[in-house]
Amino acid sequence: MRRLLLTSLPLVVTAAVTALMAVGASAQDDPGDDLVAEGRQLFATGCVTCHGADGEGVEIVDGSAGGPSLVDAGEAGAYYYLSTGRMPLNSPGEQPTRNQPAYSPDQIDALVAYVASLGDGPALPDVDLSDADLANGGLLYRANCQACHSASGSGGALSYGRAAPGLADATPSQVGAAVRTGPGQMPVFGPEIVSADDLNDLALYVRYLKSPEDPGGLPIGRTGPIPEGFVAWLVGIGALLALVFWIGTRSPIEKPAAERHEPDEEDDA
Amino acid sequence: MTQPAEGERVERAAALCFFVAMLAAIGLAITYWRGGDAQFEGVLLAVVTGGIGVGIVLWAKHFMPGGEVAEERETLASTDEEVAAFTEDFEAGETPLRSRRLLLTSAAGALTAFGAALLFPLRSLGPRPGGGLKRTAYAPGNVRVVQADGSPVRPSELPADGVVTVWPEDHTHDADAPTLLIRTRDSQDFTPRSGRGDWTVEGIVAYSKLCTHVGCPVGLYQAEEGLLLCPCHQSTFDVLDGARPVFGPAARSLPQLPLGVDDDGYLIATDDFSGPVGPGFWDRGR
Amino acid sequence: MLSRRLARWVDDRLGTAQFARTVLNKVFPDHWSFMIGELALYCFVILVLTGVYLTFFFDPSANETVYRGSYEALQGVEMTEAYRSGLELSFDVRAGLVMRQMHHWAALLFLASIVVHLGRVFFTGAFRRPRELNWMIGVTLLVLAMFNGFAGYSLLDDQLSGTGLRIAYSIALSIPLVGTWVTSLLFGGEFPGPDIIERLYVIHILLIPAAIAGLLTAHLAILVRQKHTQFPGPGRSEDNVVGTRLWPTYAAKALGLFFLVAAVVSFLGGVFQINPIWIYGPFDPAEVSSASQPDWYMGWLDGALRIMPGWETRAFGYEVPNPFFPGVLMAGLTFTALYAWPLLEARVTGDHAVHHLADRPRQRPVRTALGVACLAFYLVCFLGGASDVLAQTFGLSVNAILWTFRVAVVVAPLVAGWVAYRLCKELSARDGVPTASRVTWRQIPGRLRHGVGAEPEPDAEPAES
Repeated sequence: MRRLLLTSLPLVVTAAVTALMAVGASAQDDPGDDLVAEGRQLFATGCVTCHGADGEGVEIVDGSAGGPSLVDAGEAGAYYYLSTGRMPLNSPGEQPTRNQPAYSPDQIDALVAYVASLGDGPALPDVDLSDADLANGGLLYRANCQACHSASGSGGALSYGRAAPGLADATPSQVGAAVRTGPGQMPVFGPEIVSADDLNDLALYVRYLKSPEDPGGLPIGRTGPIPEGFVAWLVGIGALLALVFWIGTRSPIEKPAAERHEPDEEDDA
Repeated sequence: MTQPAEGERVERAAALCFFVAMLAAIGLAITYWRGGDAQFEGVLLAVVTGGIGVGIVLWAKHFMPGGEVAEERETLASTDEEVAAFTEDFEAGETPLRSRRLLLTSAAGALTAFGAALLFPLRSLGPRPGGGLKRTAYAPGNVRVVQADGSPVRPSELPADGVVTVWPEDHTHDADAPTLLIRTRDSQDFTPRSGRGDWTVEGIVAYSKLCTHVGCPVGLYQAEEGLLLCPCHQSTFDVLDGARPVFGPAARSLPQLPLGVDDDGYLIATDDFSGPVGPGFWDRGR
Repeated sequence: MLSRRLARWVDDRLGTAQFARTVLNKVFPDHWSFMIGELALYCFVILVLTGVYLTFFFDPSANETVYRGSYEALQGVEMTEAYRSGLELSFDVRAGLVMRQMHHWAALLFLASIVVHLGRVFFTGAFRRPRELNWMIGVTLLVLAMFNGFAGYSLLDDQLSGTGLRIAYSIALSIPLVGTWVTSLLFGGEFPGPDIIERLYVIHILLIPAAIAGLLTAHLAILVRQKHTQFPGPGRSEDNVVGTRLWPTYAAKALGLFFLVAAVVSFLGGVFQINPIWIYGPFDPAEVSSASQPDWYMGWLDGALRIMPGWETRAFGYEVPNPFFPGVLMAGLTFTALYAWPLLEARVTGDHAVHHLADRPRQRPVRTALGVACLAFYLVCFLGGASDVLAQTFGLSVNAILWTFRVAVVVAPLVAGWVAYRLCKELSARDGVPTASRVTWRQIPGRLRHGVGAEPEPDAEPAES
């Protein structure tokens, strides 16, 4: 009996360890694999027409559907486009604009995992506003962002009909994703140019811009002198002319001379 | 003027305006005492001044003489006699002045010289415009490019589609030296200008950030097309073709900065820009 | 009565009774459009009052400092003392922000009322003899007001106005031969230079306001001496002026209007936020925001810069840079034409008579059409200054917008002028009264060269009675 136990012990131990390893391994792999797999399925139904079976992109020929490669889009790129509802596009070739997301947050997580698995694109940064520095965020914003998105975050015109969008609806994660991925015409700001701490500060300032202090009263669009000029003329001069009209008597203006004759012939240039 | 019954109504209305103005003035004082608030201050001040204004205008329109009165216009020009008398007196005084030609001319000369001499201190207002407009702090050559916080840049730190503003080392506050470092995509067709084949490092190109139109920083980089757009007057420059202007009022390309790498692997400017930066001026080409 | 004794005391020493009586009895015609100039006058008074208050707090220094005031989003940020004092006024001085905003709104209204007033004087021909001098004084006041407004909002050294200063510098730089000298002397060196804020401060609070005050006094004195123009009407002629006496009615209305202007400015100053410098941040010559525009009265100039195609002239290493043409040449022509208009019109119409009766615009179709055409030109330039904001608001291509304006800047004046001309003719015809036009379009070039009184031209109209 003891010889049986002794000879079988290594076997039992090996079997037990193997079983434990198998359980441990599948406990690690399963959620990730499941997510990527779910993502692949969603991708296959919603994205392959334009982005290709493996996300390698489809060339646009004569107005047919097509789209860029997603191999280097990474977590950040996928998250940005999906969570802001810019993708999927209603029709190929239109400019992506913010929309209601077409997928639920869980589905977005799956798609993000799948797209990230395709290549080496930027990871989704972990934006944490709890210790962020608002003033530093402002400095970074004015140095890197205001040229396109305007000092107040209301966006701005680019060439040939495109526009940098307003930032009023951007969540901190979306800000982080956009900064790292440079969607569309936007440049890419890597971690050596805008560090992780910088990104937190920046996201805090972008959040501040959604409802900044307006001690002066109605912000009238926060687009600077143009709406201010409108108000000066419409409200200001309008009111002043109305008041002047009320104060001044309208003295009657007489037409010169009671002579009446035919309206002028065509004698002018 | 106004009829009695109506007059009473108007008088009461005007008095009410003045009374409301008084209340608003008290409100203004309270607002101020309690710490101030721009909206309350503005509106209450508007009520005070508006109340007084409306009250006065009602008083003027309804209770002051409003009938039309005519006033004759006299001829504006003086009569011939007046002009003759003036001319006579003036010429009587002028002749002694005129008769001494030497005195007159030398006095005029002295006063003119005095006036001219007085203008000289204006020269102290500013330095002679020298070569400063044609040179930047990159001129000595092999100057490191640094970010706003002074840190140098390795090529690997700038990803594709990346853009960063840099300055010559120790000159991060020079207004004529802001420089754009841009890494274009491999898929984009970058064509260097002749003689500038070695001015880029690993696909990173450097241009002056100052628009050649009127000097605004050209802050908008459109990464998909490699276009730089200036927000002031919409001048557009093609990064892939020596920052040539492709739209808008700018008439000259953005000057390019020749890049290199120093022994520690940081980006440097091997020489000054390809031309004077920023807007044009009379002798820019000399 | 105390006031009677006081008046006696003054008269005893100055002999004012006779003069004061003439003044009290001065008659002012009552048409509402004649009070628009007063709007500008009262805006100026409010600007001086609010401006003096601001000078007690503003620090026009370019010295660098670190912000420690109460605005959270700029804590610890480096900035000039000028910008910091602007923030202090806005956040930490009681009533500072409302004063700042009232001052800025009053400036916008000052210029708007000057422009409307100029329009009234132009379209009613009130600049004709003997008022040519007063017209030129008025144009000078317009130029001074524009410069002072620009100088004023540039004092705060924020990102938006600093960008404007950079543009002004570059426009001055583009002047042939002397551009580099002008800018170096004005700014104390290359842009931005250490001196510009302090120099603009002196210009803004002393030099130009003193000039405006002096010219305004002359403007009003000439008006009182020559008496106001009036529209034709019952009992009105070239030899009288019919209206209300200064004392008490007109003076009371004027005083009331002053308070009402103050009311409008106060309301705007408290309710509508203007120039939020804390959002723009301190000026940095390497940074810029999209949607950077100057205040409205400079918009036509900024728009002209945008609409101008990228043409430049270069020869032998010398050049006339692109901004010179819209920024210096076109602007210079604008003001030269404004100054010269009374003389040009008199030359072309041959009308050198004294006029105290105002025209109805429909009675002078050529002048009205030219005026409307000019307005259309400047309106297109003005809209051009908003090109990027228009593009973004309406989802259009900014490039297409600018191309459209390049065409419109030539076509719109022609179309608007023609429409105005036909409208004048039509309205006059319906009144049953011929226009008082003294010139046809074809005659204008010849008359500009030779004046009237040369050999009769083939197309000359018989003189209107």
